[in-house]
Amino acid sequence: MSDIARRDPNLVMRLARLGSIHQSRLSFMRVLTRRLAREGWTFEQTAFEVDDNGEGHAVYTAHGPDRAYSLIAYAHDLPAEKRSDRVIAEAWDATFTLFDGVPTADDIERLSHNIPVQEAGRVSGTELSVSRANRSVRLWEHVVSELAAGRQPSAEQIDAVGYLMRTTAVYGSGKLGAADREMIADRPEFRAPFQVEMLSVFLTRWFVRDLVQHMANRRAAANGTNVASLSPELARSMGIGNSTGLGMAPFLLNHPVLFNNWVAARENAIQAVRSLQAAGEDEVALFLSLIERSKITIAGWHSEHKIQLEKLHGLRADVEKVADYLTKNDLSGPRPWDALYVWAENALSLEGQEWIASLILEPYGALVDGFADDMAADNTATFRIAGAMTIGELRALLKDIYVWAIDTDWVAPENKARAWYVSEEKLEPRLGERFEEPIEEYEQPLAPGRDAARLYAALEHWPDEAQVAEFILRHPEHRHVLRRAQIVGRAPYAEIRDNTISDQVLPIDMLRCKLAFFGATQFDPRSDRWVRICMYGNAPFPTELTTENADFWVFPTHTGASS
Amino acid sequence: MSHSLNEIEAMSKRAARGAGLSWGLAEEAAKGTRWLSSFGFPGTELLANLLQLNDRIPPIDVSPVSLRADIWHAPARRMSPLIAGAALSDCAVRLLERGRIEMVNVSVPMLAVPFMGGAALRLGVPVAVEWDGVRLATDGKQLCVQGDAAALQSAQADRVLFCAPAEMTGRREPVMRANVSEESWERLGVFAHRTYAPATEESRLRGAGAGLSDND
Repeated sequence: MSDIARRDPNLVMRLARLGSIHQSRLSFMRVLTRRLAREGWTFEQTAFEVDDNGEGHAVYTAHGPDRAYSLIAYAHDLPAEKRSDRVIAEAWDATFTLFDGVPTADDIERLSHNIPVQEAGRVSGTELSVSRANRSVRLWEHVVSELAAGRQPSAEQIDAVGYLMRTTAVYGSGKLGAADREMIADRPEFRAPFQVEMLSVFLTRWFVRDLVQHMANRRAAANGTNVASLSPELARSMGIGNSTGLGMAPFLLNHPVLFNNWVAARENAIQAVRSLQAAGEDEVALFLSLIERSKITIAGWHSEHKIQLEKLHGLRADVEKVADYLTKNDLSGPRPWDALYVWAENALSLEGQEWIASLILEPYGALVDGFADDMAADNTATFRIAGAMTIGELRALLKDIYVWAIDTDWVAPENKARAWYVSEEKLEPRLGERFEEPIEEYEQPLAPGRDAARLYAALEHWPDEAQVAEFILRHPEHRHVLRRAQIVGRAPYAEIRDNTISDQVLPIDMLRCKLAFFGATQFDPRSDRWVRICMYGNAPFPTELTTENADFWVFPTHTGASS
Repeated sequence: MSHSLNEIEAMSKRAARGAGLSWGLAEEAAKGTRWLSSFGFPGTELLANLLQLNDRIPPIDVSPVSLRADIWHAPARRMSPLIAGAALSDCAVRLLERGRIEMVNVSVPMLAVPFMGGAALRLGVPVAVEWDGVRLATDGKQLCVQGDAAALQSAQADRVLFCAPAEMTGRREPVMRANVSEESWERLGVFAHRTYAPATEESRLRGAGAGLSDND
């Protein structure tokens, strides 16, 4: 039997497919919870000094084998009119930093002047992340008032939102003066990408549970009522929301090697499972049970956005088709996972295909989890341009990677209708209308397809045997995309092989892709350029974490816990 | 003030772009400034000096005329250390074959040094540079420095000689934080500011993607 190849980058790296990716075993939240459980990390709340108005601070410390990390949370009494998820906000319901070690009173005091103002503050090399969160107005008041009245909140209302607070940014890697990733990248617990941010959110969820209970306690005391304690099941069903906008979209373009390593790890895992000659009974049973549990997630996935509603409609139809397939195929034939995947690629929507592609990895932790070790990146080696490459070689490379772009008519306005730029406010990326707004002179290099096509055209009269060093000396304007092309030549999943500036581009596809690698669920676009998600829904709380529950928590076991 | 190296890189990239360099060269300037800062040199000051000197001039005027020449020189009789350095890195193989590349009239020569790090990593042997009594050598990971501070930070060197392979003597390890002078940060900020589109109500609403309520 012939070998199963990795999926072709020209298939995988299209925006519509990247925008349909689902979380998997290799998602960063699950990498983290597996490690915390395996290494026996312990967790404690060491401070909770919050007053009746919800103002104050709390500290939660995670103790690992070699080091400890602390979430310092500042709680604020935010007037409703100041509450906004948008990056232009200047105040939040709660603000956080993940501290390297255990903070002293002086650290907490110093940071109390900087963390609550977020981008307007400065932090130091002992701070690993800076983040903030806002309450879900709908759910927060419901939960506080029900608990204060001695009742449990409604599971339906909880399911309709999924979280009590949503983060609106989690900054790491040197931002605002915090520690650079390079300072901590050699620590085993931070080797996989975004482990600092994922740990911060995991602890944030614990703080939010404590805060909502505290506020209910204080209200009950004021009202003279007996307060109820939030039931562990309802608490677990809630995750932390996240509201993400365009600030995240260029990340995948600006970190091509890292992006390649994420996608390559997942593709290697898919290839490994598809290559299995047979499926064992236990593996099949686990897979079928996770299909059932996925149905709960998919049934409870809410969105009001037209595009996502269509995708959900397709996915729900796919669920039925998969059920039908599995009644006719018991996965006992040769290469059963490959057969399932190949069937899915022909029969299902992109959402359904990527759901199945992620799901077949689930029974095979021992086979695939090691791929997560390759998901980080050191860009040093790939940054340098290989100047001895010949023009002929470069031409061939461009034709291979950017064939779609070379064939695109870049004069047609619809193919370059948009331009990415950085706004003066908060220095965040935005996407504008090239022909309607005065933004073109500020355009960021986030249209690799167009730029590669330009480079290809500029090479036309150069001889094959000339070296790129000679060309690039005369044409420094092509240096950026030449570097990209050489990177993609070595890292085939590094490039989004699609038009990022057309009138059809949906930035939410890029957001979805990145967030799925984080491990997010319940993607709920709020426009074509920002999206809400849920993180750690159904996860055990830190003190509940065991090797038994550290892995499959993302799949709910019963309705009423579907968010 | 203490800055993270990522902050230095991000600011340097925007500033270099704001001064008229192509995005690809701005990336080189940013990596180089970060690298110098990590070895305790005032990378942001040196970069700000160069950007002021060459603000928005055509790059070809301060680029090497030919990579095949025995001595690299620029038409404007002053060579950009970023463009020449990037070319040196691109030609790393040629440097090893020839053993040496000489350049004349190089502005802020220290800004060319980080490119030796890239070349050394590619070649797998240390690369050295000399000018005005200064000698630096690197294998890409560590740096050997000889020479006084004034010469290291000189605004122009008449003759700069790169050699490979080179000897490493007296190693310096990079650090992970950098102290940046406020004055240089502000100067870079002025250049960086040119890359930001002025905020308009339209961009605030449309560009950032307003949609359904964000307070519910």
